[in-house]
Amino acid sequence: MNKTKNALFSYSFIFPSALLTIVLGIYPIAWAFRYMFYDYKGYGTARFTGLDNFSRILKDTQFWDSVVNTFVYAGGKLLITIPLALLLAAILNRGLRGRQLLRGIFFMPTVISTAVMAVVFFTIFNSYNGILNQFLIKLGLSDSGIDWLGPKYAMLTVILVAAWGAVGNYMLLFLAGLQNIPEDVYEASALDGASKIQQFRYVTLPMLGPVMQMVIMLAIITALKGYESIMVLTEGGPVGKTEVMFLYLYKLFFPIGGGSAGVQVQEFGYGSAVAFVSAIIVGIISLIYFYASRRMNQTD
Amino acid sequence: MRIRTILGNTVLWIFLLAFAFITLIPVVITVLGSFKTNAELTTGATFLPSSWHFSNYAEAWQQANFSKYTLNSLIISLSAVVGTLLVSSMAAYVVDRMDFFGKKIYIGLQSFTMFVAVGAVVLRPQFDLMVKLHLHSSLWGVILILISAHASIFFILFSFMKGIPRELDEAALIDGSSLGRTFWRIILPLLGPGLGVGALFTFRGAWNEYLLPLVFTMTKPELQTLTVGLANLKYGISAASQTHYMMAGACLSILPILVAYLFANKSFMQMTAGSLKG
Amino acid sequence: MMKRTLMTSMSLVLALGLAACGNGNSGGGNAAEGSGDAATGGSGEKTKISYWTGDRHDADFVKEKVAEFNRANTDGIEVELVVKGDDFDTALDLSFQTSDAPDVIRVKENTIQTFYKKGFLAPIDEFLTDELKAKFPAMPDLNEFDGKRYSLPNYGTTMRLVYNKDLFAKAGVENPPTTLQELVDTAKKLTEAGKADGAYGFALNFKSPSSAFARSARVIAEMSGYGGFGYDFKTARYDFSGLEPIINAFKQIKDDGSMLPGVESLDIDPLRAQFAEGKIGMYISYSSEPGVYKNQFPAKIDWAAAPAPTIDGMVKGASGFLGGQWLSLSSKSENKEAAWKFMQFMYGDQVLTDYQEKGFGISMVPSISAVAATPDVNGIEGFLPNKNDGVWPIYPAVAPEGMKSDDAFFKYMLNGGDLKAVIADLNKRYNAALDSAIANDGIKAEPDAGFDPAGLGGKFAK
Repeated sequence: MNKTKNALFSYSFIFPSALLTIVLGIYPIAWAFRYMFYDYKGYGTARFTGLDNFSRILKDTQFWDSVVNTFVYAGGKLLITIPLALLLAAILNRGLRGRQLLRGIFFMPTVISTAVMAVVFFTIFNSYNGILNQFLIKLGLSDSGIDWLGPKYAMLTVILVAAWGAVGNYMLLFLAGLQNIPEDVYEASALDGASKIQQFRYVTLPMLGPVMQMVIMLAIITALKGYESIMVLTEGGPVGKTEVMFLYLYKLFFPIGGGSAGVQVQEFGYGSAVAFVSAIIVGIISLIYFYASRRMNQTD
Repeated sequence: MRIRTILGNTVLWIFLLAFAFITLIPVVITVLGSFKTNAELTTGATFLPSSWHFSNYAEAWQQANFSKYTLNSLIISLSAVVGTLLVSSMAAYVVDRMDFFGKKIYIGLQSFTMFVAVGAVVLRPQFDLMVKLHLHSSLWGVILILISAHASIFFILFSFMKGIPRELDEAALIDGSSLGRTFWRIILPLLGPGLGVGALFTFRGAWNEYLLPLVFTMTKPELQTLTVGLANLKYGISAASQTHYMMAGACLSILPILVAYLFANKSFMQMTAGSLKG
Repeated sequence: MMKRTLMTSMSLVLALGLAACGNGNSGGGNAAEGSGDAATGGSGEKTKISYWTGDRHDADFVKEKVAEFNRANTDGIEVELVVKGDDFDTALDLSFQTSDAPDVIRVKENTIQTFYKKGFLAPIDEFLTDELKAKFPAMPDLNEFDGKRYSLPNYGTTMRLVYNKDLFAKAGVENPPTTLQELVDTAKKLTEAGKADGAYGFALNFKSPSSAFARSARVIAEMSGYGGFGYDFKTARYDFSGLEPIINAFKQIKDDGSMLPGVESLDIDPLRAQFAEGKIGMYISYSSEPGVYKNQFPAKIDWAAAPAPTIDGMVKGASGFLGGQWLSLSSKSENKEAAWKFMQFMYGDQVLTDYQEKGFGISMVPSISAVAATPDVNGIEGFLPNKNDGVWPIYPAVAPEGMKSDDAFFKYMLNGGDLKAVIADLNKRYNAALDSAIANDGIKAEPDAGFDPAGLGGKFAK
């Protein structure tokens, strides 16, 4: 009786979310994915080609290069973002004077639109008259400047820009997580004579477990899927050095090069197949992470 | 001991200030850029504007139709926030606290939507659905689609839910509180920090959403949002982008997000403020 | 506390929302004025039609003309102008799913084929008088498909070498280059003369290689008698070998250090801004440049435009004159007669003449270019059509597997390698894609042994 009541209650509470997700999330994805078995250019009739698109993916070195780039990009971004965000959150959580202002400052980058970011970071990083190079040359750290957006350093630059835009987000998430930890836990450990660092290691981190696990998971997914800031900054160039998986995918659906740059052909069919394989890659990595990190999820 | 503290604090502040500096530089360049001429801004040779063009703001305000479109943007963003939080916190509550058939499937579906990105391609089926519902030329279509993309907020709230001791709601249930009442009276208030950050992220996302409002207001220009207006700033009477207006417009459109941040920040503050007693 | 905030904001949102969200299914009484809903409004018997355009450069002018038409026409037609930016194509695609598709659509040389294939356009032959047919040249694949007309030309875009006269004078170079070798040499001389002030001989917007080559290598190839996108109209096959010397020349300029540093991340606007500052000696681009230096980046230098160089100094083809279409009738329009009346007004002599004279574009209608004055824009003279400008036929666009030609060429420019092998590989992949498109997508590509690129020019000026 109670069980039925609980189940009914559960279904009624999950219904709005499930309905919206299925109708406006899953169905449209399925709609797009069915083209992965077709040759379809966005008009005319789609031609069924079975698994042709998938055998093309296997041979598509551009795609696999972009997968490698994605791992470099996501790995770099996460390695910078997560420790920094956690550190800042821990520092700005309690006590420190001026923490309100600092939190606000660290949040600022996350509100700036990607289109504006492109202009600003070009001003900073371009090798001809970029602010950073002028600065380095003046300080005598470099003779003729560094080609930040050139083939050698473009990936590093793109990672730095992405980390700049993301630290504030994860800092806020960690901060919110820290706020969930009851104050008396700290008081108890302070009485035991624990130092700040010991407190962080033995009290904060374990208590933050579930939130941290989820936030890192979201960070991984976001980093693997990120492409917008790369698109505006380098368009994946020079010569594919910063082309990540989802940028490659985006270009299949919406070829860049408007104006009079010739007629562009949209590859709906092949794009859908690439989207599917990309989703599987993201899914597998997320699952690996999830199982590897399940210790974090043990509350109490 | 005392010297160590002072030394530690100095290192701490050097780190904080250095990082704050790095963080702010691009923001400052954006703000300064919004006062330059297009040529000066695009040439990129100067840091400070050689002369201050406050008129960029007047132009951006007028060309992007700020006064007219801001209300539409607010409606979309606030509705998306309320809808997203409601839908995801309800789901997070039962998924964490209850056991029912289909729970794993539900979690699987939510994760799946996060793994996939087919970009604007899914717009077509979404739009077709809205045509059937006669919502294709209304902001409700936009709002519903925005709310439907709540997977990450759901997972965030789900993890916060785990941090709320089960004893609290179990005690309430034993005292005879219904499940709905427990959610409303016990869980939601304790979920404050998670809801705050979720609200902020949803607001920001909805405020910056461009393609959906563009498509859903095709035939009703009076329903357009600010982002659509801002996009129009990009092109003027010649083939080059009006980057100076774009920057001024961007600086203006950031302000509501910062206001939202101030509100959300209060939810991170609650506990800390109450704990200053020690 | 949280709950109260939530409730308050929710009711606020609901109240605001109901007031302003608009609602697609409310039967009548919808307060959306001028929104182009079917003509249910009471006032008179106005026929409402909508015109959608992605153009912003002429928006004020077109708005003025639409207002003029709305005031003056005696048929009770009211045109609503909808100006869309970047995502015009997406919006148009979706509008054809609804009953709100526009009546008149702005089409371009790289969208009209797609729109035609998607069935968005209606032929206009039934409205065309013999006089109109004579006045507006028919151009296969640009405004004519399967023998039917779908649009008429208004203005076109030419491509030229844009050069910094001051830097030329400083380097002691008299004339703009006419061959690839001269281009390489001039870039070198200009760099030697200008480098101390941070000026370089040549630049292109290689952030997007396709955008860079489509305005530069393309026109050099076309002037030299090759298809600008690697398609050979004589054999109806892809053959990129015509581009080989051009790519090599660009690579030479880069290797010589005569190219602006950082071109690999350079967008077109920063390029223009640097040119206006005098930091770039030459680049190749479209006839939209003079407007940019008039309105956005006031040039601090004396500059001019000259015909693009050819491979060896011999003009064997025509410099592409891009255009051939402007307005099209929507296949979904329920008021085609009224829509045509609006089109007729827009294609009237007065509007077209004003269009050129006010500097929005160079007329492509012979009877207009004969009488319209040169636009009052500095530097436009060099862009006006000459005997070597002509309209190229449309090549069959394909999606090859693997790297696109532009990316492959730019990769060679940066990393070196064997260009002949690159070209052989491109030919193989593009032709395979072409064969597949012919077999499966109904693309037509027929050899034309008599195709004469040199004969394309001379139709717009002697």
